[in-house]
Amino acid sequence: MKRKTVFWLALFAVLAALGAGTYLLRGVAGRRAVVSVDGEPMRTVDLTAAAVPYEFTVETDYGRNTVRVSQGRIAVVDADCPNRDCVKQGTISDGAIPIVCLPHHLVIQIED
Amino acid sequence: MALLTAVELTIWVLEGQIPPPIPVPGVKLGLASVVTLAAMAVLGRREAGCILLLRVILGCLFAGSFSAIIFSLAGGVLSWAVMASLIGLFPEKLLWVVSVFGAIGHNAGQLLAAVAVTKTPGLFWYGPALLTSAIVTGAFTGLGAMYLVRALRKYRERRGF
Repeated sequence: MKRKTVFWLALFAVLAALGAGTYLLRGVAGRRAVVSVDGEPMRTVDLTAAAVPYEFTVETDYGRNTVRVSQGRIAVVDADCPNRDCVKQGTISDGAIPIVCLPHHLVIQIED
Repeated sequence: MALLTAVELTIWVLEGQIPPPIPVPGVKLGLASVVTLAAMAVLGRREAGCILLLRVILGCLFAGSFSAIIFSLAGGVLSWAVMASLIGLFPEKLLWVVSVFGAIGHNAGQLLAAVAVTKTPGLFWYGPALLTSAIVTGAFTGLGAMYLVRALRKYRERRGF
């Protein structure tokens, strides 16, 4: 019994460490952000050329998202979906985690 | 069962209101799953499935979004299926292991749903991070479920239902 507990603890610890390692490796800052809907790139944003923050709107049949770009960072600041998870997610500045707006099939990923 | 559904729904709604303890978007503890797993251990697989389905449907009515139903279901159903098939294989002292696998199933289901909806396979890169978060959160909710199982058993003996 004891040995089994140790076995599972060790296995999960190794898996968790591997996952965290991959996450950290991918967490490097990128130079551009790709905004896509249904997997189709809608707009590519140069994050290094945003000394003055600006906003733009992505409007599709699914709905509307307002995106704010500042130096090296990007965020969804407004959306007309009910749960607004993408807005709550806040600003991203690296490739570790994309911004996803599920109701509007929208993904924002940072690439190098 | 109605009581447990109400408890799970309340926990789920409350968890959505409080700020997440870790500042990583998309990662949450999944406290509601404590109830699902404990119900599975004490009442049975089918009863736990009913509680989970009711929570998902009622929860999405409260949150007021229908696209969230598919997403919530993908995670919930896969998590339930994984836990239902594993719960017989592990002794009660290792219930937390079942919980970890359930959490991995939950995150895998949500990731699959996200990839299917957005048609962006690149989201799979987020998988390893979700794996780590599933292991940590699954272990914690599993421990919680083990305490709840003990409490439910006592309650049951006293009330004799």
